[in-house]
Amino acid sequence: MTRLIHLLLFIGAALVAQDGSTKGNWPQYGGQNSAWRYSALDQVDASNVGQLAAAWVFQTGDNDGGLQSTPLVIDGVMYVSTSHNRVFALDAVTGKRLWSYIYELPKTFTTFYGPWNRGVAISEGRLIMGTLDNYVVALDAKTGRQLWKVNVEDANQCGCNITAAPLIVRGKVIVGVTGGDSAHRGYLNAFDLKTGRHLWRFWTIPGPGEKGHETWHGDSWKFGGGATWMTGSFDASLGLVYWAVGNPAADFYGGNRKGDNLYTDSIVALDVETGKLKWHFQQVPHDVWDWDAAYEIVLVDLPRKVLINVSKGGYTYVLDRTNGEFITAWPVAKNINWIKGVGPKGELLGRNEPVVGKPKLICPSIGGGRSWNHGAWSPKAGLFFTTGIEWCEEVTAQAEIPSEGKTFFGGTFKLVPTPDKKSGGHLGAYEPLTGKVVWKYEYKYPLLASVLATAGNLIFTGDAEGDFFALDARSGKKLWSFNTGSGHRGSSISYAVNGRQYIATPSGWGSAVAGLMQQFWPETEQFPNGSAVFVFALPEQKR
Amino acid sequence: MKLAIGVFFLPVLLLADQTGTSLGTSAVVARGDKLFAQGCAVGYCHGSAGTAARSPRLRGRTFEKDYLVKVIRDGIPNTAMPAWGDRLTDDDIVALVAYIQSLATATPEGPAPSEIASLAPPVAVKDSDLSPDVRRGRELFYDPQRLQRCSNCHRVQGIGTPVGPDLAKLSRAQLAAEAVNALKYGRPRRVQGIVTKDGDRFPAILIERGPSETRIYDLKAIPPVQRNLPTTEIQSIQQPSGWRHSQAVQSYATDGVYTYNSY
Repeated sequence: MTRLIHLLLFIGAALVAQDGSTKGNWPQYGGQNSAWRYSALDQVDASNVGQLAAAWVFQTGDNDGGLQSTPLVIDGVMYVSTSHNRVFALDAVTGKRLWSYIYELPKTFTTFYGPWNRGVAISEGRLIMGTLDNYVVALDAKTGRQLWKVNVEDANQCGCNITAAPLIVRGKVIVGVTGGDSAHRGYLNAFDLKTGRHLWRFWTIPGPGEKGHETWHGDSWKFGGGATWMTGSFDASLGLVYWAVGNPAADFYGGNRKGDNLYTDSIVALDVETGKLKWHFQQVPHDVWDWDAAYEIVLVDLPRKVLINVSKGGYTYVLDRTNGEFITAWPVAKNINWIKGVGPKGELLGRNEPVVGKPKLICPSIGGGRSWNHGAWSPKAGLFFTTGIEWCEEVTAQAEIPSEGKTFFGGTFKLVPTPDKKSGGHLGAYEPLTGKVVWKYEYKYPLLASVLATAGNLIFTGDAEGDFFALDARSGKKLWSFNTGSGHRGSSISYAVNGRQYIATPSGWGSAVAGLMQQFWPETEQFPNGSAVFVFALPEQKR
Repeated sequence: MKLAIGVFFLPVLLLADQTGTSLGTSAVVARGDKLFAQGCAVGYCHGSAGTAARSPRLRGRTFEKDYLVKVIRDGIPNTAMPAWGDRLTDDDIVALVAYIQSLATATPEGPAPSEIASLAPPVAVKDSDLSPDVRRGRELFYDPQRLQRCSNCHRVQGIGTPVGPDLAKLSRAQLAAEAVNALKYGRPRRVQGIVTKDGDRFPAILIERGPSETRIYDLKAIPPVQRNLPTTEIQSIQQPSGWRHSQAVQSYATDGVYTYNSY
């Protein structure tokens, strides 16, 4: 009888919609494995957020590339990683440093994709980080002592490295790689959390004899990109790991890689135990615009089990995550001219491709209809919150010969005004199944920080000029703002210790896209870099 | 491997002779423009005509020519700026310097070729200088399409992970005599068998055994894992482990082993 009750409870739990909200802890990069970036804490809400005050600030001391990470908080300890693979463990109440770890980088090597780090993963007392020279390291989360270290591939050979946070599920460290703009063949690896031993590899470009290999012409598969440069998600009830695969290389020229180029620009669902492909959905067959499908994959039950993924080309894709079936795609940017739209089966309508040797207006720019900075799902509001960017470029494609591990772009670009002369950024609240805009917050520059949603009906993010601010999730009205002195490119979180809710944000301007902005907004060259964590809470008597 | 050869300026002078000084200068800048578009303006680098991206703006700024040559040739360590010395010829670098200097004022004229020609960047060894066997051996050694490859454990010419012996220190004769045999049948003495208190058994190379911590390379899976184990967790260290070299390089066919040996 007890067994039967247990079984019924188990089935009941499996039927209940996945809860991706965080509470006291912020244990994973995306909050939880479903990447909602939603905190169920509601002590800070729309009525009192105006009183939010700084509790402490931690300066990391290395502002090269800004601060792009997502801090984690587990049982009152905050873990934050910075450029050049430094990790700090801090008392989450006071900001006091508990330990620090400075990864020993080789004296001479090139970090084309760096120097930033976007986060770490923690499970069973082990903290895991990918490095600029393409190692995966494990630390004792209590002390910062190094436990193991394994090289994925020589960074000097592959021109690739790791800047994204790993995903740890079922004792496996799943970690991607950069290299999508280099002559490199992408992959995703799983390592054993305890020993560091390699468990499986999924090649994002199928090799000879594998299904999908025929979508690559000649030897182009060896140099075809397909990086896995952000962090994936996991559905425990399906046992599936979801990862978004980046653009094919060369970015702007596809003449030597004729075919669909699987599995670039695709969402792949892999068996967590084996790394074997269960299904895939390719957003952009034969991409010639650099439209990664690299960004976060948000798992939501509506109640249909769907996933939401914003692509760099400016469309948000909603798929059935049990089988990859296309449900809908809607734009997050107004200025999109590389296609006329997405058809009922997810097919691209009216491709507008770059041409060799002649500039062509393409919108959005290479920086994307949105950059990688993540959106948030609020189950309370029933809305998906994401930034979007209005900007265009003139692309000139060129044929290039790939050289292993070297940059392989296939063209150049120059940022140009949008046809309506209204370049800039925005943050919108969207109905996930229709793309209907409930509200939109406009900003003169691209918004490049991730979004945090809370049960207090609040949306937090930061801007290029250093303002970290809160919007009302229902109206988009700005309720509170604090200038941290440097722009925002990281991901804010919320956590609680001893019953007090905190909002924490990295502050620190930098990154490739921030650099790109100088082409169009020359004054941004003067925006100061920074690298600090700011933590806010309500004054003690107010809560 | 780089050889310093000081004859690089010949093509530039020839170019100047054929086209006349002012045309020659324009031609050098135009060539630099083309090279810049192919290698420097791309992606998140210096932007079209040096207008900036993740890498610094070059337009409207003045740089010393020696500095530009050094940075283009050698790169800037620990930054995104790669070394181009092995990919560009000397006159390519000269042309790039001329073009980048022309961006300071954004006029079409660059510095006179004779001025540029006083620089002496080195010349890299090209792939075509190697015999087919050696080239094939090198490909196999570093082959990124194999999970099991020699460079997982050996570093040669700065590429690979230095877990096993430095093969560059072995003489040609030693390699010829031992390498094939070692690869196929060898049980390296350095590899020991470790048993931990939780019952895990695995082949490993001992790096350092301290009173509190023992550092090893765990060879149970490839690539090897550098692990720092509490010394008290180690039950025993046995020698030999029974680990065979061939376990780590199963992906190579016998002919590959021979070809590797040529390398």
